Amino acid sequence: MAAVQGGMVDAKDELDIKSEPPSDGFGNSNANDGRLLSSSPGAGTGGTATGNNKPAPGPPEEQQTLLAVLQFLKKSKLAESAEILRREAGLPEDALDPKGTDASGSGPGLAAGSGQVDGVDASSLLSRVTVSSSAAAQAPKKAAAGEDQPDVSVVLSAYSQQGDPSLYDAYYSGLKRFIESVLDCHRAELSQLFYPLFVHMYLELVYNNNESVAKAFFEKFSGDQECYYEQDLRILSSLTKKEHMKGNETLLDFRTSKFVLRISRDSYQLLKRHLQERQNNQIWNIIQEHLYIDIFDGMPRSKSQIDAMSGSLAGEARREANKAKVFYGLLKEPEIELPLDDEDEEAENEEGKPKKKKPKKDSMGSKSKKQDPNAPLQTRIPLPELKDSDKLDKIMYMKESTKRIRLGSDNLPSICFYTFLNAYQGLTAVDVTDDSSLIAGGFADSTVRVWSVTPKKLRKVKSAADLNLIDKESDDVLERIMDEKTASELKILYGHSGPVYGISFSPDRNYLLSSSEDGTIRLWSLQTFTCLVGYKGHNYPVWDTQFSPYGYYFVSGGHDRVARLWATDHYQPLRIFAGHLADITCTRFHPNSNYVATGSSDRTIRLWDVLNGNCVRIFTGHKGPIHALAFSPNGKFLASGATDGRVLLWDIGHGLMVGELKGHTDTIYSLRFSRDGEILASGSMDNTVRLWDAMKAFDDLETDDFTAATGHIHLQDNSQELLLGTYMTKSTPVLHLHFTRRNLLLAAGAYNP
Amino acid sequence: MSAPKTIPKDAQVMIQILKDMGVTEYEPRVINQMLEFTYRYVTTIIEDAKIYATHAKKSSVDADDIKLAIQCRMDQSFTSPPPRDFLLEVARQKNQSPLPLIKPYTGPRLPPDRYCLTAPNYRLKSIQKKVAPSVGRISVPRLSVGAVSSRPTTPTLGTTSVQSVSTKVGAPVSLTGQRFTVQIPPPSQMTTTKTTTPSTPAVSNVLINPSLIGSKNILITTNMVSQNAAGESLKRKHEDDEDYDAL
Repeated sequence: MAAVQGGMVDAKDELDIKSEPPSDGFGNSNANDGRLLSSSPGAGTGGTATGNNKPAPGPPEEQQTLLAVLQFLKKSKLAESAEILRREAGLPEDALDPKGTDASGSGPGLAAGSGQVDGVDASSLLSRVTVSSSAAAQAPKKAAAGEDQPDVSVVLSAYSQQGDPSLYDAYYSGLKRFIESVLDCHRAELSQLFYPLFVHMYLELVYNNNESVAKAFFEKFSGDQECYYEQDLRILSSLTKKEHMKGNETLLDFRTSKFVLRISRDSYQLLKRHLQERQNNQIWNIIQEHLYIDIFDGMPRSKSQIDAMSGSLAGEARREANKAKVFYGLLKEPEIELPLDDEDEEAENEEGKPKKKKPKKDSMGSKSKKQDPNAPLQTRIPLPELKDSDKLDKIMYMKESTKRIRLGSDNLPSICFYTFLNAYQGLTAVDVTDDSSLIAGGFADSTVRVWSVTPKKLRKVKSAADLNLIDKESDDVLERIMDEKTASELKILYGHSGPVYGISFSPDRNYLLSSSEDGTIRLWSLQTFTCLVGYKGHNYPVWDTQFSPYGYYFVSGGHDRVARLWATDHYQPLRIFAGHLADITCTRFHPNSNYVATGSSDRTIRLWDVLNGNCVRIFTGHKGPIHALAFSPNGKFLASGATDGRVLLWDIGHGLMVGELKGHTDTIYSLRFSRDGEILASGSMDNTVRLWDAMKAFDDLETDDFTAATGHIHLQDNSQELLLGTYMTKSTPVLHLHFTRRNLLLAAGAYNP
Repeated sequence: MSAPKTIPKDAQVMIQILKDMGVTEYEPRVINQMLEFTYRYVTTIIEDAKIYATHAKKSSVDADDIKLAIQCRMDQSFTSPPPRDFLLEVARQKNQSPLPLIKPYTGPRLPPDRYCLTAPNYRLKSIQKKVAPSVGRISVPRLSVGAVSSRPTTPTLGTTSVQSVSTKVGAPVSLTGQRFTVQIPPPSQMTTTKTTTPSTPAVSNVLINPSLIGSKNILITTNMVSQNAAGESLKRKHEDDEDYDAL
């Protein structure tokens, strides 16, 4: 029961605080908000109960535990034992009465009216207690982790019956009538209540085995919900029994986490007043249990504003979830000592070296030595040092970037499309190296195939026997170690036992990562074209993986709803990013390698800090699972694409949505910014590549205090202006996009007749 | 889509299920696959339930047996990812430790060899060359050497002269115990090693020894060789060289 105490402590604290006017508590944006709110049923329901419910002096947690046990005994009709316990524990008499509501979780309170739920709930109560105590035993009692920590009280009370099931219909209709009668400006905001309330009430009915009532309830009200919840509703419609819920982790998480709504203070007051003046305020109780209402001061939001931000499985993000400081700047480029006879290269101003006639104008050379306040320190996370081969790569990079084409709305890139033929719908992942010399494809037949894009063939290192015979002192030893006899354009890598869903080249082109449905991530050497390591950790399909821009680290995300950060020389992950409610479908590193963005099937994007594993940003607004993410080269913005066909642009520093690009008609599978960030290219299942003007989209942003404080966004409907071009392919969905160092756009996909 | 009357009822039910679940586009083979799965699943469950019923000494299968069968199969085949609070706790613990520092200049950064797939996964079979050994080199001492040591120990026939000969090929002897080099030793050697073997002409030595040695070699030295051969295929070449040098 120790674990149960954890949640009860909080509930108990709130009961004490409740004497203050509850409305003051709601404005706070701290982690205790949710629990604070959940105490107000005590305040709401016929106020007297709270007065009487003052537990006797004693450790608060034990008090609550005893009350819970007492109630349980009573339910199991062990009257004598209950009496003995009550006497010995010194509990007040009225603690025995089952309260109408017990949302604070002081015990699984069962509504007095629902006589029929006795036996069932007692046994289900026990199972719940064991489940939740075993689960909560792992969930620590501390509240430090913030909103992601499961509230045990919520877990317990989430399954308790609120009121008579047959009256749910009436409750919901009553609320509907009320909301339809309020002023227009409030109506949009209060309509946000419909969906979460509907789902929670339905799930409660199902969980308490009121199948027919649940079905009727569903049929009557499912049509009213927003269109973008259609998929969820369909899944719900197939859930009619309690057993169906057991295997569905996403739904269980939905039940236990609080759905977040952002409502202005005025609308909230309106709602509260209405619900509290009625005698029968079961809805109020349900709201307290399952919803977290983040209140802000200011104008109520319009329907379009709300629609833009809603759609995710857990509602919107709380404001404080997006308040942490994020170092979105880029790391300083290292100084590279260059041979003086190379005219074109100079990374930074180095004293003593003669000034070159052509100073670098691109982002590589920052003339100031001052630390960018928005950039993380070089040593914030350990990064591998540059080897000589890396330095040579950098020199090549700088050479190429001088020849880079400046793109813009008047200067669009050329697009070169690599079509995979005869893939029979088996192409599941594509990646291209940074210098565009190699393309790798991951296939549903569990192979990984690597092609050389340049005329230079793929060579692997000679076997150990042959290596002995070469002249080790010769100058071209690096060519001599390569085996000419088996050089070929294509190399096939065998090893996985399931379709390969994610592929990533390392920045130094030595390694290739592939993640597969078999739950492993494999590291392949591109020198020997053999598999070096298999990283086991996810036991479920891994949907995406990516190397860090500096190599050494890589991130992976899969069906088990966590993303893991690995290093190539550790066989276990270094960081685990847990918090999503559904599978993670896309993982991307920030250009400074300090943050990881994950997009998920729960329709949110989270930004995680590599240093300590915290979630620093939550972005909601997509209406479908997210399949594409791209950071802008300057690190300030994030673009995301999902199955709803929209590309959303996010400002990482402020945590706000800054743009919406409509145009695609089907899932967007790839997004890429051009090398200088002027153009955003998006590729989709609707067989098109579209180019958008990123410069313009990020140009005039309203980032005044009001916007930042409340999260109100004013999205311009300028998708048409920002669309620079649409390029159709011949029935080939676009799986991957890549800008070469000279800003030529490469695209890849499998021909799908 | 209209279902012509030739489709069996089960398939029609499956089509309806797919429609209810919102799946509108699918290949026709999907229905067959779903039906096969259903059949397999249901028969497995019912068979399990029958076993449970007989275990409980009941005459017929009832709902409890089916429930138990479903539950057991569920835990076995259809596992679901761990619950969220468990993951959060694991994450909290894992994220507490700081990121490890990166050692500079270590070559390819890979986990310890145990966790890599870079070890050889094959073992070379022992080969048997029926090549006559020289008088000077007696395979028996090789047998005695037959342990893993690369330096020959005191040969069973125990003469120093033999030792001196075999020390010349110290390392190879232990590793390739069953390989015989053809050597016609100079007469001087023959005389020195006379004591070890009967100083018969080389030919007779050759005749006698291989048969003896061969079998013994297989018995005794195979393991040793296989241990070393796997990692030391390179060395074999060196041994060849050395042997030829010794000549």
